[in-house]
Amino acid sequence: MTEEKPPIYINFFKPSTAAIRAEVSIARCVLLFWFFLSYAIPGLIWLAGQGDPRGMGESFITHARFLGFPLHYWLLAQGCTLGYILLCKLYCELWDRKLRQQDKEAKR
Amino acid sequence: MKSLFCRRSAAAQWLAALVLLPALFVSGVTPALAVGEEIFQVQQGFKLVPAIIMVALLCIYIGVGFLSKVSSTSGYWVAGQGIGKWGNGAAIASDWMSAASFMGVAGLLYLKGWFGLGYIIGWTGGYVLLLCLIAAQLRRFGKYTIPEFLGDRFNSNGVRLIAAGVTVLIAITYATAQFKGIGLICGWIFGMSYTASVFFAAGVVCTYMLISGMTGVTRNQQIQYVVLISAFLIPLWLLMRKAGGTGLLPQLEYGSIISDLMSGKTAAGQLDPAATARLRDTYLPWGQGDFYHFIALVFTLMVGTAGLPHIMIRFYTVKNEDVARRSVLWGLFFIGLLYWSSPVYAAMGQFWNPGGGKMVADVIILSAPERAGLGSTFIGYLASGALAAGLSTVAGLLVAGASAIAHDWYATIYRPTCTDRQALRVGRIFTALLCAVVIIFALNPPALIAQIVAMAFAIAGNTIFPAVVLGIWYSGSNKYGTLAGMIFGLGMTLLAMLGWIFKIPMFSGDGILPATSSALIVCPLVFLINILVSKAMQDKLDKESSRRGDNILRKMHNLPGYIEEQQAPGKSATAY
Repeated sequence: MTEEKPPIYINFFKPSTAAIRAEVSIARCVLLFWFFLSYAIPGLIWLAGQGDPRGMGESFITHARFLGFPLHYWLLAQGCTLGYILLCKLYCELWDRKLRQQDKEAKR
Repeated sequence: MKSLFCRRSAAAQWLAALVLLPALFVSGVTPALAVGEEIFQVQQGFKLVPAIIMVALLCIYIGVGFLSKVSSTSGYWVAGQGIGKWGNGAAIASDWMSAASFMGVAGLLYLKGWFGLGYIIGWTGGYVLLLCLIAAQLRRFGKYTIPEFLGDRFNSNGVRLIAAGVTVLIAITYATAQFKGIGLICGWIFGMSYTASVFFAAGVVCTYMLISGMTGVTRNQQIQYVVLISAFLIPLWLLMRKAGGTGLLPQLEYGSIISDLMSGKTAAGQLDPAATARLRDTYLPWGQGDFYHFIALVFTLMVGTAGLPHIMIRFYTVKNEDVARRSVLWGLFFIGLLYWSSPVYAAMGQFWNPGGGKMVADVIILSAPERAGLGSTFIGYLASGALAAGLSTVAGLLVAGASAIAHDWYATIYRPTCTDRQALRVGRIFTALLCAVVIIFALNPPALIAQIVAMAFAIAGNTIFPAVVLGIWYSGSNKYGTLAGMIFGLGMTLLAMLGWIFKIPMFSGDGILPATSSALIVCPLVFLINILVSKAMQDKLDKESSRRGDNILRKMHNLPGYIEEQQAPGKSATAY
C-alpha cells in the first residue's frame, strides 16, 4: 500500500488490456445473439403483424405451423429457450478457445 | 448463511407457536373471503391421498438433506468438490424452482396466452446476461453476499446498507408470492379457506425450518431437483393421453392442441364463434398486451434474473470459474425442462376449461388435471412438488433476508464489535419478523403469483443489476454515483409497486410504467445517473475509496497488482 500505482481504467466499451479485450469480445459476441433472440424475434413478429387491421399481430408468422405449433408461439415458447442454452454453450466454447490461445502464447 | 439455517431452532420454535395459535383460531371461524377465491375453483374438502403424498414427499425432501449431511461434515459445497457441472446445474435449477415456476408461470400462460411467454424468455434469457457480464468476474472476487461485494467495491456503508435493504425487500416480495402458492396448495389438500391456509402454510414453513434447523439439513439440491421435476413432468404424460395424444413427448405434442385452440376446438367440442374469437385472440401476439409491454416485461425479468442476490450467490460457491460457466449451461438446461412444460399445463387448462379467467389462473396446474379426471394421486404428487419447491424457496429467502440484516447491517455497520452470538440472535429475531410481514402481505396478495415475483425482479433489475455491472465494468463508477442510482431505482420501483396496489392507471398492467415491467425505462436511467453522478463527484472521492475500488477491479479482471485485503476476524458471512 506504500507505493502508488496508477489506477487502472476499465470500460466495457473501451477495453484497456489484451485479457479484458478477449473477455469483452466473447461477451459482445454472445450478447449480440442474445439481443437477436430476445428483442429481434418479437420485433419481427411485431413488424410482420403491422398489416393486421385489428392490431392483434396476425401475419404469415402466426399462420405458419411448425411441429404442430403456430410458428409465433413455438419461436418464443421453445425456440428462444433452446437458443439461450446454445448461447451458453457458445460462451463456454469461446472461453475455452481463449484459454487455449493464452496457453499457447504463454508457452511461446 | 447456511449455519443460520442450522442453528435457528429456537427462533423457529417461537415462530411456530406465534403463527400456529392464530391459525388454529382462524381455521375454526373463518368466513369465505373474497381473497384467494382460486380455492373455490378447485375441488373442495379434505383429500387423504394427496395429504399422505405431501407428508411423504416432504419427508423424502428433508430426509435426503439429512442423509447427505451425515456423509458430508465440512459443509455441503466444500465437501462436495467432486460435484461437477451437472450437479451444480441441478443445484441452480433446484434453487430456481419455486411456487412461481410451478404454479405462477402456468397460470399466467393460461390467462394471457402468447403474452405470458414473455415470462419464459425473460426468466431464461436472463441467465445469458448473467453469464456474459457478471458470473466470471464475481467468482474471482469470491466473497459471500452482494451487499458485501458492493460495499467493498465502492468502500461505502451507505451502498452496503441499501443493497442489504434491497435484499430484504426482494425476499419479502418473492416470499409473498411463494406463500400465496403454498396457501393455495394447502387449501386444496386440506379443504380450508385461503386465509386459514395461509396461516396453516406459515405453520408448515416454520415446521420445515424447525426440522431442518434441528437436524442441520444441508440441502441436497441434485436429488431435490429430481423430486421436483418428476412431480412436474409425470402428470403431464397422463394428462396428454387424456387429451387424446400419445403422451410420449407432451412438450412437442401440445403444439397441435394450441393450433386447435386457436380454431376453437376444446374438450367440450367446438366453441361458439364469440368464444372462439376470444380464445384465438389470446394466442395471437398482441391480444393480451402490446409490443411495448411485452418488451418491457422481457427486459425487466432478464435484468432482474441477472441481478437477483440469491442467484448470483451461486457463483461464489462453486469450485472454480470453469465449473461456474458450465453449471450455468446445465442449470439453464434443467430450468428449460420446467419451462418447456409449464405451457403444456396452460394449454391443457384452456383445453379442459376455456375461459376460466383470473380466478382459476394460479391454480391451473391443479384445476386442469382435475377437469381431465387425472385422479387425486397424481394431482397430489404434483401439488406436493409445488409445495416442496415453494417451501424451500421461502426458507432460503427468509434466511437470506435475515442474514442481510444481521450480517451486513448489524454486525458490519451498527455494532462492528458484537459477538457472533449476538449477530445470530439478531438474525433469528429478523427471520421471525420477516415471516410475520410476509404473512400480512400474503393474506391480501396484490396480483397473480408470477406477477408478484416479477415485481421482485423489477427491484433487483433497477437497483442491484446496474450497480453490479458498473461495479465490474466501469472503473469510473464510484460510491456517489452508485448511491444516487440505487436510491433512484429503488424509489421508482417502489412507486410503481404502490401505484399497482392502489390501482393507479399509469402503473397498472397496461400503463406506461407497470410494476412488473418497470425496468425498461428505469434501469437505463439508473445506469445514466450512476455514470453522470460518478463523473461529477470524481474529484470529491477520497483516496481510500479509489484505492480499494482499484484493488478489487484488479482482482476481478485478473490484472497484476492486487493486494490481499485484510479481513476483520470472525466476520465472515458464513457464520450466520
